[in-house]
Amino acid sequence: MIVRRFFVSVFAATLLVGACGGDPPPPPPPPQPDQDSLRRYNDSVAAAEAARRAEAERLAAERAAEAERQRRIREARATLEEMVFFDYDMSEIRPDAATALRAKVEILRASPQVQLRIEGHADERGSTEYNMALGNRRAEAIRQFLTGFGLAENRFEIVSFGEGRPLQQGSNEAAWARNRRGQFVITAGANMINPPGN
Amino acid sequence: MSVRVQMGSRVGAFLLVAAVAAAVGTEVAAQEDLPGVELGLFYANTYLPALAVQPFTGTFGGDALAPQVEAIVGRDLRNSDRFEVLDSLPGAMVGPRVDYALWDRLGAVWLVTGQVEGAGDGFLLNLELHDVVYGEVREQGRFRVPNPSDEDFRMAVHRASDEIVRWATGDPGMAASRIAFTMTDNAGNKDVYVIDSDGENLRRVTRYDNLTESPTWSPDGQRLVFASWKTGVARIYEIDRFGNNERMLPPVRGAGDYITPTYHPNGRTIAFSVLGSSSQSGVFTYNLADDCCLSFLSGGPWYDISPTYSADGRWLAFNTLRFGDAVPQVMMMPSEGGTAETLSPYAYGSGGFYAAPDWSPHGDLVAFHGRIDRRGRYHILVANLEDGGRVLRQLTTEGNNEAPSWAPDGRHLVFVGERGWGFGLMIADVTTGRIRSLLGGRQVGLPDWSPALPPT
Repeated sequence: MIVRRFFVSVFAATLLVGACGGDPPPPPPPPQPDQDSLRRYNDSVAAAEAARRAEAERLAAERAAEAERQRRIREARATLEEMVFFDYDMSEIRPDAATALRAKVEILRASPQVQLRIEGHADERGSTEYNMALGNRRAEAIRQFLTGFGLAENRFEIVSFGEGRPLQQGSNEAAWARNRRGQFVITAGANMINPPGN
Repeated sequence: MSVRVQMGSRVGAFLLVAAVAAAVGTEVAAQEDLPGVELGLFYANTYLPALAVQPFTGTFGGDALAPQVEAIVGRDLRNSDRFEVLDSLPGAMVGPRVDYALWDRLGAVWLVTGQVEGAGDGFLLNLELHDVVYGEVREQGRFRVPNPSDEDFRMAVHRASDEIVRWATGDPGMAASRIAFTMTDNAGNKDVYVIDSDGENLRRVTRYDNLTESPTWSPDGQRLVFASWKTGVARIYEIDRFGNNERMLPPVRGAGDYITPTYHPNGRTIAFSVLGSSSQSGVFTYNLADDCCLSFLSGGPWYDISPTYSADGRWLAFNTLRFGDAVPQVMMMPSEGGTAETLSPYAYGSGGFYAAPDWSPHGDLVAFHGRIDRRGRYHILVANLEDGGRVLRQLTTEGNNEAPSWAPDGRHLVFVGERGWGFGLMIADVTTGRIRSLLGGRQVGLPDWSPALPPT
């Protein structure tokens, strides 16, 4: 019982002290959001986000452009290496071959570092030694066609394989037609191909 | 029957005749497709004296070898196409002495007897050629033959066979010789191979596993020159007959394809073609002996290839593309340079495809192949330049045939024949028209027949 009384009196005293000390200072107001800084804050977040997005987009675009460039280089390379075919026993450039060679000209003009080896091939018919000469004439006819568009002659070397390197085995017209051809090997500037129009 | 040909060519009229195997009297259909040219055919029944080989005997250890030597000699005499070689009689039917009456009854005109005699580390082959009609020995000789394990064994026997031919006909045979050619492997690469004239001893000489073309023998039969693409471009190399001691000829790295080499008969220079060089295309010569002096002989903006020298070295025949695509022609010119004239029956606008000339080691004969009709078949042709009158004979009548090369006897040609069964090396005798197969069923090309091979 004594313990409880003591507790009560301490409690009362406390109340008294409090009642006699005047008004307590008001608690500090809770921080009110400042509209400017909030906007600035939000703006900076948005800006960062936008910048991030822009950077990502820029990178993506760059990657896409690079991929597109690579694709066009690959395409240009394939165009440079595309074979052309000849009629039986002839070294004359056919219309379809002229179209293919014309496409090479544009790439070669835009890519002055690129050099080509032109390989002339013949089908198995006729004469083995004559076919070496015929292959050379075909390679030479291609070189003449290309230099005719103002490309320097020293960008092309020619070699004939005669009938010795057929593309397709067989003694039939289908195989022969594939085998009398000009082939192209990039001997310099393979990493400096500029697709035309760049 | 022969028909003189009307042609506008400046080399004059050609007489085109087709040779047919002597034994057969069949007529080859006249080929009328060559414009401006009438083709006739001509065949003579060549008389071949009957020859018998009596079974060879042996002494001092030569007995075991006698049948083998006899077989080689018998086959060589058959391949010479100078005789009707009779089938051998069993040894039991003939005694030690020559029974001329017996051989006469069997129809033999010539009889060969032989004896193989052991001598030191080799053998002596004693041969006799008998004239059966007169019943006497016409010629005899002793030939040293090494052991069968020796590389030169078969060649030594072949040289003896060639002497028998000389005894009987005045001209030696061609058995002691080899043929170089290209063969394509499964990967499509071509290397140089060599085979004896009787089809034995096939062996590979180069091992580049690349493209190798136009192997050609030196006049002494000890070296070969050819074109190889092993560095990626065509260059000319010389090796010895075993494939060793290679050197590049000429040792240049200029532009262009260096192809179709051939030796001058003196062995001191080679002639070959350079194509697609920025400077000059055409036939060049190079001095082997001094390893120098590349010199330009003929050509220009056109293409002259496949040069071949006359036996005296004074003339050069070659193939030219100067008349345009699809109509290569054979021409000849002085080997020191000068005016070239057409050897093949070219007439402007008429077409005609003639290629791969080879000049005979005897006389004025140039063999090449050509498409003389429009059916697209290629045949072996021989042009005779004697007395300025040119005679063109057709040696083959079936399949496609290309790249002829003369044997040292100036009467046989080896060439590539394409038949229904595939490709092969074939040998034709210009005189009788007989054709035999040397190596069949292989992808072979550009054969070159060696000179007569002396003892090594």
